[in-house]
Amino acid sequence: MLITSIGQGLLWAPLVIGVFLTFRILDIPDLTTEGSFPLGAAVTVSAMISGQSAVVASLLGFLAGCLAGWVTGMLDTKLHMPSLLAGILTMTGLYSVNMHVMGKSNVPLLNEKVLTNYLPATWSIDGQTIVVGAVVTGVVMAVLIWLFKTRLGLSLMATGDNPAMSAANGIYTDRMVIIGYMVSNGCIALSGALIAQSNGYADIGMGIGTIVIGLASVLVGEIFLRGRQIWVRLTGMVVGAIIYRFLLTVAMGLGFPVDDLKILSAGILVVVICLPILRTKYKTHQQLKRYLKQIGADEHEAESTSSLNRQASPEGLLSRDSK
Amino acid sequence: MLKNVSLTIEPGDFVAVIGNNGAGKSTLLNTIAGTLPADAGVLTLAGHDVTKKSVAYRAKWLSRVFQDPKMGTAGELSVAQNLTLAQQHTGSMGLGRYRKASQEVAYRELLQTLNMGLEERLTTQVKYLSGGQRQALSLLMATLSQPDLLLLDEHTAALDPQTSKKVMDLTQKIVETNQLTTMMITHKMSDALTYGNRLVMVQDGQVKLDVRGAAKDHLRQEELMSLFAE
Repeated sequence: MLITSIGQGLLWAPLVIGVFLTFRILDIPDLTTEGSFPLGAAVTVSAMISGQSAVVASLLGFLAGCLAGWVTGMLDTKLHMPSLLAGILTMTGLYSVNMHVMGKSNVPLLNEKVLTNYLPATWSIDGQTIVVGAVVTGVVMAVLIWLFKTRLGLSLMATGDNPAMSAANGIYTDRMVIIGYMVSNGCIALSGALIAQSNGYADIGMGIGTIVIGLASVLVGEIFLRGRQIWVRLTGMVVGAIIYRFLLTVAMGLGFPVDDLKILSAGILVVVICLPILRTKYKTHQQLKRYLKQIGADEHEAESTSSLNRQASPEGLLSRDSK
Repeated sequence: MLKNVSLTIEPGDFVAVIGNNGAGKSTLLNTIAGTLPADAGVLTLAGHDVTKKSVAYRAKWLSRVFQDPKMGTAGELSVAQNLTLAQQHTGSMGLGRYRKASQEVAYRELLQTLNMGLEERLTTQVKYLSGGQRQALSLLMATLSQPDLLLLDEHTAALDPQTSKKVMDLTQKIVETNQLTTMMITHKMSDALTYGNRLVMVQDGQVKLDVRGAAKDHLRQEELMSLFAE
């Protein structure tokens, strides 16, 4: 069960990394995810059916995702739409695009050679999945780690952190936001390409709920692996993707029907958002109690002041201004 | 709102701009920086017409220190990363490594001049610094790119009196050693009289007073006050 989760988690990892890029680096919740994920799948499967190799087809899927990101980026920066709305518009438009690319709502792969077929057939399916997932995720991580060591990467981080300061220092922030959207959605589409090959088909509905999966995995990953360095944070995203898959597998093992997985995903997201907030609240309360004990105040007073620490809201996980 | 403002800042000028709340001094600064577009007229920076250009484009010749210490620095990034960002106002798309060991030595020396112990905190995230430290860092960053014009937007207004004094002294020192052309917005009349070689008073979106050199030195606070009242 754990082995399967690792394999599946590695296939989903590029999506989580993509969501991390917009959500954490650029500080934008990007709903394009729901459209670019099936777009990657659709483009890859269609390309493979028309005779392209799995590698080329997956790259085409990645590029299609970049294009989708570019559209959202243009809507956001050049037409000054709120980023949530820009994402919703692209996502909705992509539904039609995906239908046109696939021709029908579900396209199965028949005898096409998928990425795992490049590996020895004697290996188990889980083994093959893990190797393919690890190689692709490894390449994505290596490229991003390099990117964030360059001046461009620094400009991207600065833009997400403080756009006014970035512009004042000569950074064309619109351009940075568009690049961020493109790289992010490219990764997400790549993940779609991998999942389609793993499942053996592309489906028009496979994007539903992917933003929730992505966000939940980002937060789970951050609970387990915190750090400032980019390689630590990216590794955290991979860990988050795997743990998230594991949680879903456990739930299915407990007898949850497949139809209920979406509400479970949403539930997991609610829990992982609330957990750190509750933990901070609890810690603040404990500290206050200890402090009051030190200065000799009685318990009654400690209770009356507890309303104070309710006002001191902890650093919000989803808030944009937690600087 | 600005009306028919015509202002020429000469190289080497240190202009202090004062005015009531809503008089238009911030509008003036934001129009120069590009945050606000000019409806009419021409804006020239170091011989280039930048009337229709973006904030980032104008940054080639401009540096700016904001009123809010949080605005001028990127809190999630380290002290060294902030300095790197400020060093060049062009080439933000570069694909070369931004971190160089030789630069860190230079940064350390620069930060030492602030006397705030920041040279030991190159890798600290800026959000953990105090307001005064952040503003001093902003000031240092603003000079790194050798701008043709340095804009100071009430940059001591958010600080306590002691820190405010310290940052003002630092400003004076930095402007003098780097020979920077500076425009400083302030609402403190004493600062406007003490610092700079030129004083501009803005009222109702117009330049009401523009004195320089000896004429400014002879200006008394009472005279200035009476002008305000009019």
